[in-house]
Amino acid sequence: MNCEELISYLSDYIDQNLDEELRLDAQEHLATCQNCRIVLDSTQKTILMYRQAGLQRIPGGRRSALFARLLAVFEQRKGDEPSKS
Amino acid sequence: MMDDLSLLCALQARDPAALAHLFDTYADRLYRLALGLLGNEADADDIVQGAFLKVITRLDAFEGRSNLGTWLYRVAYNASLDLLRSRREISLPEEDGSEEGDASAIMPSVLVEWSSPDALLADAEARRNLDEAIHSLPESLRSVFLLRDVEQLSTLEVAEVLSISESLVKVRLHRARLTLRERLAVYFAERIPKEG
Repeated sequence: MNCEELISYLSDYIDQNLDEELRLDAQEHLATCQNCRIVLDSTQKTILMYRQAGLQRIPGGRRSALFARLLAVFEQRKGDEPSKS
Repeated sequence: MMDDLSLLCALQARDPAALAHLFDTYADRLYRLALGLLGNEADADDIVQGAFLKVITRLDAFEGRSNLGTWLYRVAYNASLDLLRSRREISLPEEDGSEEGDASAIMPSVLVEWSSPDALLADAEARRNLDEAIHSLPESLRSVFLLRDVEQLSTLEVAEVLSISESLVKVRLHRARLTLRERLAVYFAERIPKEG
């Protein structure tokens, strides 16, 4: 496997979607190619950073107000709807 | 932990605890997706509210071909897309399959080692750079990256939410990851001293 092929398989390698033969070829290339190891490592760090940075929640006051509005509609429809089977 | 069928039955019976469970499970996730796509908290709030309202008012129409979460994500994604289109921030869909053979088009050019993610995330400027990098992606790549790598949906679930094939999800994910890596590499190479 050369660098171009490794890069084309990089996402599948990260997601462990490669079959055994390709995975071993990729590992063999990575063992000898520092540039590809850097690309692999920095791509994994890119994913991890967005995962860690992306853990926002709806701020508390807005979250409870939103749920209250939805609950009002939800319960109102209970009264509106004759039971259907 | 309630399974999807029990939850759906409880929602159809208008059990408030079921709504609370659905909201607790998905509200923040939908918010993050909408915020990632739209970049605006007020718009993201509206998208979350709209998605839950649509599900609440159409429970009887739910066919169960996908799970409730996928349905909610799809409603929120489509509403976000409509909003982006109304602002003319994205062009019409480009899903004609022509991207699928283009997976190897990106070759990394900035090859420096990075510090740990925690160190990289430590300052506000770095976080701003993350935001700018993801918002510079075309919507088609950004949505796949947010759903697959941030929200950690499976490839199949992402394909269902976006109504595209699994192979196109993989192609776009690959492009999104490498494009983001390259953009961040330029930034971190200038700022962060190499460890070790």
